[in-house]
Amino acid sequence: MRAYWKTACAVLVFGWLCLCCTASAVAQGHDVDVALVADPNIPVSNLTLAEVRKVFRGERQYWNTNLAVVLLIRAPVARERDVVLKIIYQMSESQFKQFWIAKIFRAESASAPKVVYSNDMANELVTAIPGAIAFVDARDVRPGTKVIRVDGHLPGEAGYPLR
Amino acid sequence: MRSLLVLFLLWLTSPTLLAQSTSQTSQSEPSIQSLLDRIQQMERRISELEEHERKETAAQTGNPMLPAPLDQQAQATSSSSQAMHEEHGTSPTGVREAEIHYPSLQIRGFGDVDFQATDQKESTSGFSLGQLDLHFASPLSRKVSYFGEVTFTAQPNTYDLNVERSFVRFDYNDYFKISFGKFHTPIGYWNTAYHHGAWLQTTIARPQMIKFGGTFTPVHIVGVQAEGSIPSGGLGLGYSLALGNGRSSNFSKAGDSGDVNNNRAWLAKLSAQPSRLYGLELGGSYYHDELTPQRGVNFREWIAGGYVAWTKGRPELLAEYENVHHTSLATSQTFNTTGYYAQVAYRLPWQQDKWKPYYRFEYIHRPTQEPVWDITGTPSVEDLVGSLVGVRWDITNFACFKGEYRKFRQAPGTPSVNGAFFQSAFTF
Repeated sequence: MRAYWKTACAVLVFGWLCLCCTASAVAQGHDVDVALVADPNIPVSNLTLAEVRKVFRGERQYWNTNLAVVLLIRAPVARERDVVLKIIYQMSESQFKQFWIAKIFRAESASAPKVVYSNDMANELVTAIPGAIAFVDARDVRPGTKVIRVDGHLPGEAGYPLR
Repeated sequence: MRSLLVLFLLWLTSPTLLAQSTSQTSQSEPSIQSLLDRIQQMERRISELEEHERKETAAQTGNPMLPAPLDQQAQATSSSSQAMHEEHGTSPTGVREAEIHYPSLQIRGFGDVDFQATDQKESTSGFSLGQLDLHFASPLSRKVSYFGEVTFTAQPNTYDLNVERSFVRFDYNDYFKISFGKFHTPIGYWNTAYHHGAWLQTTIARPQMIKFGGTFTPVHIVGVQAEGSIPSGGLGLGYSLALGNGRSSNFSKAGDSGDVNNNRAWLAKLSAQPSRLYGLELGGSYYHDELTPQRGVNFREWIAGGYVAWTKGRPELLAEYENVHHTSLATSQTFNTTGYYAQVAYRLPWQQDKWKPYYRFEYIHRPTQEPVWDITGTPSVEDLVGSLVGVRWDITNFACFKGEYRKFRQAPGTPSVNGAFFQSAFTF
């Protein structure tokens, strides 16, 4: 009878540990890095966070004289958009909308960022539209897409700021 | 038995405890997180289906498989539209939709409805329609864009239609952009940050020193403007240079139909947005013009100004200073009028950031005798001390209510005026 209790206890403890590991893995899944991907023809491969901010705020509008920046951003609710709004823009969703209305109204930009509805669409458009740049989940980066280093780091590396 | 019961309870409760400890976000928004996860799953499923369809199409046509991802990168260096069809033959629509077509006219409207009640003698309380403002933006090519703004302002018997801005801009690169037309003069901060849409600005009205229809600051200029950023690393320097007609004989108007004299107004502005202090902008400007309010009466005008703005909302700080210097060309007499304002606002972190209380102090000091401001017999610039306190409530992303209490004095020795002001402002 005593052996039975021991076995039961061992099974329960094992089950508890398994649940702990599963929950931890799920929690870590939400901290996946967001990669900055771009048209392979743009003449940069590393940007500081401040420079990324300048690009996505429409303050830097040209990669060079002949290549304009085309901003792509995920539609609301996507996690990539939340990361961009929180870290790059440091704005809420409504502040972000107001920011771009004001930006166009001030004639500082002729158009707002284009909305993409999936990471696949973002991957496709950055390779198809000259000068395009977008954020995608690091797990969804396609081989062949140009991934931009941010502050010298690639997604997954320690110190990468976009997560 | 008791120890087994304890272990069983621990086993039952552990997932809940762990879930609560993973993140505050997942605790507060479990449904959104699950939706996001489902969206991610659906996206992956769509890409799997697309890949499958691609393979089937290639097998049926006998063509070799579509380029592997690494080849795609190489092909992307050729023309984008060709690459688009070769690499993404299954979804060219999305690419087409994302491309800009020229011209591509966008129209946005702004409007507001106001109510005011003051204890000023001979004033009436009541509602009024604010400016109905239409803004046009249209890229004409990759480097050329048009911007326009027209307003309809209610008058007792009619509506005034005014062209507030109308210009075409040529972008060479980030360092040099040149525009031709009618602009808001890039003096200070407010005049080019908020324009005519009341919804854009935190408060109900502009500061007196830059109000539309006022004369302290030349709000508009007709001519040419060059602007751009200056390579300066983290300093984020920018410049604006303008050359134009300046004020017409009516000082509140720009010379839309031609200059009033043979001297052009010019302006130079330098600004900085340091990257280490994200949200901060500071700058200074210098404006020069020659005024001819009446035939044979000429004044030289210099306006020096500086500003600092912190626009992140928590807090929002705006402060601007200008000194308007007039010299009579007939007598060499000089006159200085000083104006400034300081405004602070704070977006409250509750109820989805919808509430923003604010306060502003403003001040204008002018000489008792100032021939330019008094040229018509009625002072066009008042010696003003005033402050206001109010709150803005964003009811949606595109509409807001504002309520203000103002106390101001319009001339030395006159009683202060108190007033309550309300506004519903929106964009559409």
